[in-house]
Order: sequence, then C-alpha cells, then structure tokens
Amino acid sequence: MKEELINLLKDPLFGICLTLIAYLIGMWIYKKSSNFFILQPVLIAIVIGILVLSLISMYTSHHVEWVYKSLYKPGGDMIFWFLLPATLSFAVPLYKRNDIIKKYWWEILLSLFIGMIISLFGMYYIGKMLGIDDTGIASILPHAATLAVAIPNAEAINGNPSITAVACILNGIIVYAIGTQLLKLFKLKNPVGVGLGLGTSGTMGSAKAAEIGSIELATSSISIVIISILIDFLIPFFAKLMNLG
Amino acid sequence: MKKETPIIIQLSIFVSILFVSNIISSFFPSSFPVPTPVIGLILLYLLLTTKIIKVEQVEKVGDFFIGILAFLFIPSGIQLAPSLDVLSHDGVKIIGMTIFSTIILLVVITTTASIIIRLKQKISSNNK
Repeated sequence: MKEELINLLKDPLFGICLTLIAYLIGMWIYKKSSNFFILQPVLIAIVIGILVLSLISMYTSHHVEWVYKSLYKPGGDMIFWFLLPATLSFAVPLYKRNDIIKKYWWEILLSLFIGMIISLFGMYYIGKMLGIDDTGIASILPHAATLAVAIPNAEAINGNPSITAVACILNGIIVYAIGTQLLKLFKLKNPVGVGLGLGTSGTMGSAKAAEIGSIELATSSISIVIISILIDFLIPFFAKLMNLG
Repeated sequence: MKKETPIIIQLSIFVSILFVSNIISSFFPSSFPVPTPVIGLILLYLLLTTKIIKVEQVEKVGDFFIGILAFLFIPSGIQLAPSLDVLSHDGVKIIGMTIFSTIILLVVITTTASIIIRLKQKISSNNK
C-alpha cells in the first residue's frame, strides 16, 4: 500500500498539483479572512506544502528530505523553472519607465552603493548582538542578492548555503507579506527609493512593487540587477574587513 | 490598434534570450557569479531600448509572468521543508537576524535614495 502510494506520487504531476491546490486554498483563506495581510496566499501555500510533505514523511517513514527530493521536487522544479522567464519579464516595465531611469540613473547607482554598505554594517552588528556565530552571519549577509548570487558568495566566506537559502527565501516572503505595512511604519514614500528598497528582496519585492506603481516596479527591477552585481563586489571586501571566513 | 504578436513567438523570444544568457552566464568565474535571469533581464532591456524588439512583441507574456510571480515562488518556499532541521539548532536567532536584515535593507536603501534625490534637487535648483 505504502509502496503503491509512493510510486503514484513520484510523478511530477504530484508536485504541480500540490503547488496549485495549496495556492487555491491559500487564495480562499485569504479571501475568507477579508484579505488579512499576514494570510497571504503564497505564505499559506508554502505552509500547506511543507505540512503535506511532513505528513507523507511520517506515513511512509521516509525522511522529509527524501520526500521532498523524490516526490515534490520533480513537479516543483517545473514550476520553479518559470521563474527564469518571469525575472526576464521585468525588463518590460523597466523599459516602459525609461524616463525615470534616464533621469535618476546616477542617484540610483549611488543610493544602492551607499545603502548596501550601510546595510552590511547594520546586518553584521545585529547578528553580533543576537549572538550568532561567524558562519551564521556569513550565511545571511549576501541575502539581498538572488539565490544564485547569494549562495556562492556565502560559501566563499565560509557561510552555510542552507542557511543562505532560508534567509533569501524568508526575505522574499517577509517583504511580500508585510512590505506595505513596513513602508507605512517607516513613512517611506519616495517612489524611486521604495522601488530600490523593495528590489533588495528580489523578484518577490518586485512583485510587491508591481502592486504599488509603475515607477516602483521599474526601479525595483533595476535594483535586482545592480544589487546582484554589488553583492559580488562588496561581500569579499566586507568579509576581509570584518575578518569573516 | 497594433497587431499583437502571437504568444508562441513571444515565448520563443523569451526562451532564445534565456538560452543566450545561459551561455554568457557560464563565462563568468565562480567567484563572480552573474545568474542567467539577471543577464537575460539586461539583454531584453537592451534589445527594447535599441528597438530591435518592440514592446508589443514581449508585453503580453511579460505581463502574464509578472502576474503569476508570487505563485511561481511557492516551490522555493516548500524547498525549505528539509532545511527546517538546520534551523532547529540556531533557528530563532537566524530567523531573527533575517527579519532585522530585511527591514534594514528596505529602510536604509529607501531612505538613502530619498536623501540623495532630495540633495541633488537642492543642488540643481541652487545652480539656477
């Protein structure tokens, strides 16, 4: 019985269906809660997905990692692949607001450069204050970049790539769930600035920016690109300065 | 009303750019990674600004992808299921630092940008 179930679930269709159904349930709960911000469909879908995988792991007495890799990943990867063309898509809103980019390109570069250096110091000292060891801090520091940039950078300064993945993904989820509330709380209004700030959470930040306005969406797209390159440049220097890795 | 480019052609443009970006990405050293989608974003932007590709040739598919972006992110989140073990040891601290870092990045970069933009406006209005 268990074997049959596992063989059935090994088809990529399982991962795709689980993702879709979890998302639909998420949308339904979000609507029922009259759009309570913390109950974002994506957040609920992720929790449901992890719960289902844990249940399967308990029932089949396989480790969760095995359940994830052999049952969910085949289908999950198919959906995940579409993030590549989706990231490309941000070139379109960027091009549509080329007026903003042309007007502010110098301010954008300077702000991201200075802002990123200040943030690295801030993140480092928060980590120290929380009593996190150097490995933990090194893993989290590069998380403003996309996963594909953050992980090798973290590894280069002796970080733990699994922690980096958690930080990167969590960063995106946090901003998508409470980004609007954070902007309100800190009274952040400048549209060019808001876009640049949201871009530090990668594509999820840009998805949030898309809900706010076209200037925010355009500057968040450019922020993703520049932050990725900045992290490549700044992380090795910063690590040397702080004797990390 | 401009004629809309068929979806299959729009998709082909996206996939061709990704293919080229993947090749370019492989030339970067592992110590300085520039991922495929980031190169693709730059390439598509350059192709649009140089008018080699027209907006209406990629707009519909682009809007569609941006619209379902949050959904596409779910597998990345579920990917955390096996990593929950990593968190059991120092988890609360790691999550705490990530939350603070996220807020620091958002607030610091947004504020820096608003200050720099305001300064620049002041300087250019003083020069007039």
